[in-house]
Amino acid sequence: MTKAIFYKEWLKLRWYFLLAFIVSNGMVAYCMLRIDRAIELKGAAHIWEVMVLKNVTFIDLLQYVPLITGIIAALVQFIPEMQRKCLKLTLHLPCSQQKMTVAMLATGVTVLFGCYLANLLIAVSYLPGVLPYELTRNILSAAAPWYLSGFAGYLFTAWICLEPTWKRRILNAAVAAITLRVYFLGVVPQSYNDFLPYLLVYTILLTTLSFISIRRFKAGRQD
Amino acid sequence: MNQFSKILLLFTIAILLVWQLPWCYAFLTTKAGPNRFVMYSSLLDDFIVTEYDKDKGSIRRDLAGNQYTTEQTDSLLPAFFMRQLVADERFPDSIMGVPVSPKEIQMTSFNFRTRPSAINTPQTGIYFLLESMPSRVDLDMPDDAFRFNRKGIEFVNMETNTVNEEKSRKFTQMLSDKGFRFPPKEVSGNPTTMKEYDNGYLLIDADGNLFHMKQTRGLPYVKALPVPVGIKPAHVFITEFRDRKMLGLLTDTNHRLYAIMADGSIALTGVPGYNPEQDEITIFGNMFDWTVRIASPENIVYYGIKASDFSLLKQYEIPSENTEIPGLSFTSPYDQYVRPRI
Repeated sequence: MTKAIFYKEWLKLRWYFLLAFIVSNGMVAYCMLRIDRAIELKGAAHIWEVMVLKNVTFIDLLQYVPLITGIIAALVQFIPEMQRKCLKLTLHLPCSQQKMTVAMLATGVTVLFGCYLANLLIAVSYLPGVLPYELTRNILSAAAPWYLSGFAGYLFTAWICLEPTWKRRILNAAVAAITLRVYFLGVVPQSYNDFLPYLLVYTILLTTLSFISIRRFKAGRQD
Repeated sequence: MNQFSKILLLFTIAILLVWQLPWCYAFLTTKAGPNRFVMYSSLLDDFIVTEYDKDKGSIRRDLAGNQYTTEQTDSLLPAFFMRQLVADERFPDSIMGVPVSPKEIQMTSFNFRTRPSAINTPQTGIYFLLESMPSRVDLDMPDDAFRFNRKGIEFVNMETNTVNEEKSRKFTQMLSDKGFRFPPKEVSGNPTTMKEYDNGYLLIDADGNLFHMKQTRGLPYVKALPVPVGIKPAHVFITEFRDRKMLGLLTDTNHRLYAIMADGSIALTGVPGYNPEQDEITIFGNMFDWTVRIASPENIVYYGIKASDFSLLKQYEIPSENTEIPGLSFTSPYDQYVRPRI
């Protein structure tokens, strides 16, 4: 049954995955190209200097890309589910409600993970060639909370979409928006280093928020 | 699991409330603090406080309450207002019996400032060592960068991103010969060409000993700076002031402030307590005195320090007008880390 759920969700997400994969990797490739061009035009020494002395990371364009890809993934996956009342059918299948919710969310998370892993591979295949590991670490550590926000954005949006009433959706959206701010407070690279493991655990726990919406949906809550 | 998800949601809402409500209150109610500028005047042997009042404009007074005009203040702080006095043709031939010229005042005046957030910040671990005896007048940024590791110092050519083994070996050897133990606890330098000269780096090694390292004609210059018995260096700051009399400033684990002189000697200053991890320091110095401002979360203390022997002349304390509302915060003006703190 779980396999079938995965397949059903994959069918919903596959074209979006392709789009997100192309766009996010294109953005990462563009950021790497920007570093390459800057080195070509200004010299590697200048790039090292601004990265060390001014905390420049050259990936500022990527800041909200993971978040946006996460939010859209959840919208693509769950809006049709809610509009066509497919969720009602899904919940009537002979399988644990929580297991199915986790399977649905796991599909989205896996799709996002695939995109983000490809982003990371592009970065690590280029950066160590032109930058010392300290500056590569700076760039990756600056991006880490942004990518975590992609998963958080996905899980929050799923929670909001699966919620049956608009009043509660607005409240959920407000909570999500303020919470997501926590992922974007860093002004220098590595500023999240100590906090990141806790933020990762919190992000994983966000999976459970959808259980509240599913339970309310099943209880037939309406505006 | 359903119960857990409810608890998580309530926990999240509680966190957001204790984070955002105090922030909103502070955002809406915070007023500008008093516009106050304090300088020690050796001529007056007192502090001159310049405050701005909405109705009366700028008021300049000493701690006894005597008020001064703008022109009188210029004359009482001749080193600080040297340019104004020169422009008004009021610059004196001598100050406190010492014949001075504007050029001398310019050469011996400095200001120094550092904040806790400059110390409590993630370190990249990459540094730039300028040539301290360049063949041309202007300083140039180097074409290599360096890092420390447990075995020594490594210079990396920035164009090729490869280690310059020869230079790394020379510097590692020189540092080791001088008794330096890798990796250093603290590295302080000022890698910029916007200064008159380069004095390299001041280092606190793994054993807590103080060293001065610079590059002269491409070769390493390393000097161990013997620290008086009982002093455990905590933080060090290279200064590179124009008069070249000092190498830098040093604090120890007891939060005492020392001046590191150009010959490597270390002199205790009259500043009784300065913790760089919590306090902001500003120093306006000239050939006669220093005005040291130390702003801590509790108060702001001004010290008048004698420039010749760093003894304390006078101090003036103002309670900090910290109107911070207690609450949760993820960032702080005292560091550059993101983490929850009350």
